[in-house]
Amino acid sequence: MSSVFTPAKLIVTLLALPALIIPAFALGYIVYQGSSVISWQFLTSSDALDGFGNSSGILGQLTGSLLLALGGCLIATPIALGAGLFYQLQANPRQRKLLESVLYLLQAIPPIVYGLFGLVLFVHLLAWGVSLLTGMLILAIVVLPALTLNTITSLQRIAPEYSEAARALGLSDSALVGRVWLRHARLELITGQLLAMARALSETAPILFTATVFSGVVWPESLLSPVTTLQTHIFYLAQEGGNPLAIQVAWGSALVLVASVALFSLLARKLKSIGEQ
Amino acid sequence: MLRLWLNTATLLCAASLLLIVTFLLYASSPIFAAQGLNFVVEQEWYPYEALFGLLPVLVGSLLSVGVAIALALPLGVAAALFNLEIIPKAAQSWLRLLMELMAGIPSVVYGLLGLWLLVPLLESQLNLLTGRTLFTAALLLAIMALPTIMVLSEDALRRVSREQRENAVTLGLNWWQQVCRILLPQAWPGIRLATLLALGRALGETVAVMLVVGSIDRIPEPFYNLLLPAQTFTSRIGREMGEAEIDSLHWAALMSSGLALMLISLIVVAPSLFWRSK
Amino acid sequence: MLRLATITLLLSLCLPTLATGQIRAAGSTTLLPIIAEAAKVFRKQHPDITLTVSGGGSGVGITSLKQRKIEIGMSSRPLTKKEQTQLQHIAHEIPIAVDAVAIAVSKAVYQGGIKELTIQQVADIYRGKIRNWSELGGADSPILVIDKESSRGTRHVFAKVVLGDERARAPGATIITGSNNEEQSAISNSDKAIGMLSNAWLNDKVRAIALIQDNLSRLPSTENIISGRYPIQRTLNILIHNDSSTQTRAFVDFLQSEQGQQIVQQVGYLPAH
Repeated sequence: MSSVFTPAKLIVTLLALPALIIPAFALGYIVYQGSSVISWQFLTSSDALDGFGNSSGILGQLTGSLLLALGGCLIATPIALGAGLFYQLQANPRQRKLLESVLYLLQAIPPIVYGLFGLVLFVHLLAWGVSLLTGMLILAIVVLPALTLNTITSLQRIAPEYSEAARALGLSDSALVGRVWLRHARLELITGQLLAMARALSETAPILFTATVFSGVVWPESLLSPVTTLQTHIFYLAQEGGNPLAIQVAWGSALVLVASVALFSLLARKLKSIGEQ
Repeated sequence: MLRLWLNTATLLCAASLLLIVTFLLYASSPIFAAQGLNFVVEQEWYPYEALFGLLPVLVGSLLSVGVAIALALPLGVAAALFNLEIIPKAAQSWLRLLMELMAGIPSVVYGLLGLWLLVPLLESQLNLLTGRTLFTAALLLAIMALPTIMVLSEDALRRVSREQRENAVTLGLNWWQQVCRILLPQAWPGIRLATLLALGRALGETVAVMLVVGSIDRIPEPFYNLLLPAQTFTSRIGREMGEAEIDSLHWAALMSSGLALMLISLIVVAPSLFWRSK
Repeated sequence: MLRLATITLLLSLCLPTLATGQIRAAGSTTLLPIIAEAAKVFRKQHPDITLTVSGGGSGVGITSLKQRKIEIGMSSRPLTKKEQTQLQHIAHEIPIAVDAVAIAVSKAVYQGGIKELTIQQVADIYRGKIRNWSELGGADSPILVIDKESSRGTRHVFAKVVLGDERARAPGATIITGSNNEEQSAISNSDKAIGMLSNAWLNDKVRAIALIQDNLSRLPSTENIISGRYPIQRTLNILIHNDSSTQTRAFVDFLQSEQGQQIVQQVGYLPAH
């Protein structure tokens, strides 16, 4: 890396500047606009009973978002883990190829399509209606491919000596998995979970008509009750461009949402760096 | 017991892919039965008159995503090069952190930024009738794609071995030549993978686009005039999925848009499957 | 450990409380402020009843009610013949408010001289035959024609009176918006826009123009609406099943009561009379 600032470097820098400044500006703007609204009261009282952002308080939306994301990840985990273990433990090269392709294809499907699927299957056919359960399942499908791929890479990172030693000791498959693999891959697996949470918190379109309502719910009574979420709240408020209070609440909600997603991403990053030591 | 779990889990993964595809095919079959393939090239979308054209959203989606990636790719790679080569080491991890955070910002927040900042800005600066245009959507999508492309390109660039770079220096290549002859070509597989990923995500982006694109099912005149309002697959589905009555022809037509969107997304990701297997 | 806690938390949600006092309302965004506000008050009086409210448009309200996905459908337009047949024996309409569909323009347009138009002129704008405000006596600027999603109640009512058929197309439209909210902010953020909006949503930046019919110019004022002189007005209805639950009926009674009708007026609409 020479320190001479050549014309080529200048051009690259000029091209790079928009790529760096615009996102930084966007982030700064969100923080700037949103921080004026944030308060303990904002986070713990509920506006879910009004919906129009006329009184701030996003507790209902916050819980809704977290419940949906948590539920989605929890449902997806056993399947992701199982498929990952299948890949590593049982699959022959052809099966591995196939599973990989299936996962990449699933990952490429836009989440709104999963929303359509969920609308027909869960809301209508199974008659669960617009509900938390429906939303959790749809989000589970959305995060499943990435979670499974993460499981596979985590398992592949385990040094083969451990497995060889375990086999030499005569450990059964279950013991191998339980005592050796899951132990050693624990950190990476949790990282994957955190990333899945971050992902699930960002999804709006698939839950808009399948799990959420405009207002009326703070803490859902049961899994078959709908919820309000930060993502959809922001979406509704975005359309209220004229009302200054609504604008403020929208930015505040956006900041809380971004902060929540960032929390999970940063935790994942931290764990990853711990794991790499 | 273990086998049962592993097998069931894997089957579920495979089954969900099959299920989604079958579901879309089945749900959109009424429109194929009623109109054959005519609706694919039909230029208008007006459910009340049984006009279910795919052409407006096809043009809208492809143009907005194409322009978005065309903008984001060079800028993103430049930013990656910038981070890797130009700024001091101390700042590198901060910049990287910023980018990773940006990559995680939910799309609905970008929608907010787009609607409240970008739309008025474009409207006033470019003297447009309305700031809700295909170009606005493309710009927003580009901003959303930048962090992803930058982070993944940086990873790809970092992977180019020291050896290669040292060889280049010994051969007397200057910085720019190093970049063009060694770094970029070597990192190209990673970069093109990143591009494909960003492309796929941009195609599937719903709420941000829905708020800023104008949502009018009309092919701009001329078709490459991005400064006019238009419609994309995701915006159409997002706006009408709540109101189309299930089992109606309108619903089947909406499903056919979903099917088309899925097919295009799968086609976009297919090359990466091929490349990975090499 | 954390996982165990969350699992127990989620399991606690499984406690079946599905059918106890649940009222789901959805549909027209014109009625949304009324129902949302009334729901707030009603919940204080009946804390055991869960009342959720959603938008989506009149089309969504009617369809969802038909499919028994909701208990109260909100509609800002009359039922079509097809819908009437489908709902004949299962549901009925209850008017709870009255409003008018105003032809709204951006403040700058209004102040630029466009204060009244004939219905034909509005139709020509939406059909693309008139494209510049100067053709109507205003400033020289192109018209931003804001249309609504075709299933929206406001659009049905507008199209019926202005374009002749509730399903008529508007080839002159520039952009399409969905909810009343979206339309209102689109008009207020522009200086050239025209759109269709419930009169309760008018404000300083979104002004109603008077409609000229039979040589008489009428603003969507309260008197003109009550007397029926303003050409585009409607009753705002809720639809409930004939066999609806006691809770639903309680809420409906509340809406029709004096307190409920006061809320209607508070939010900006006219009482159902």
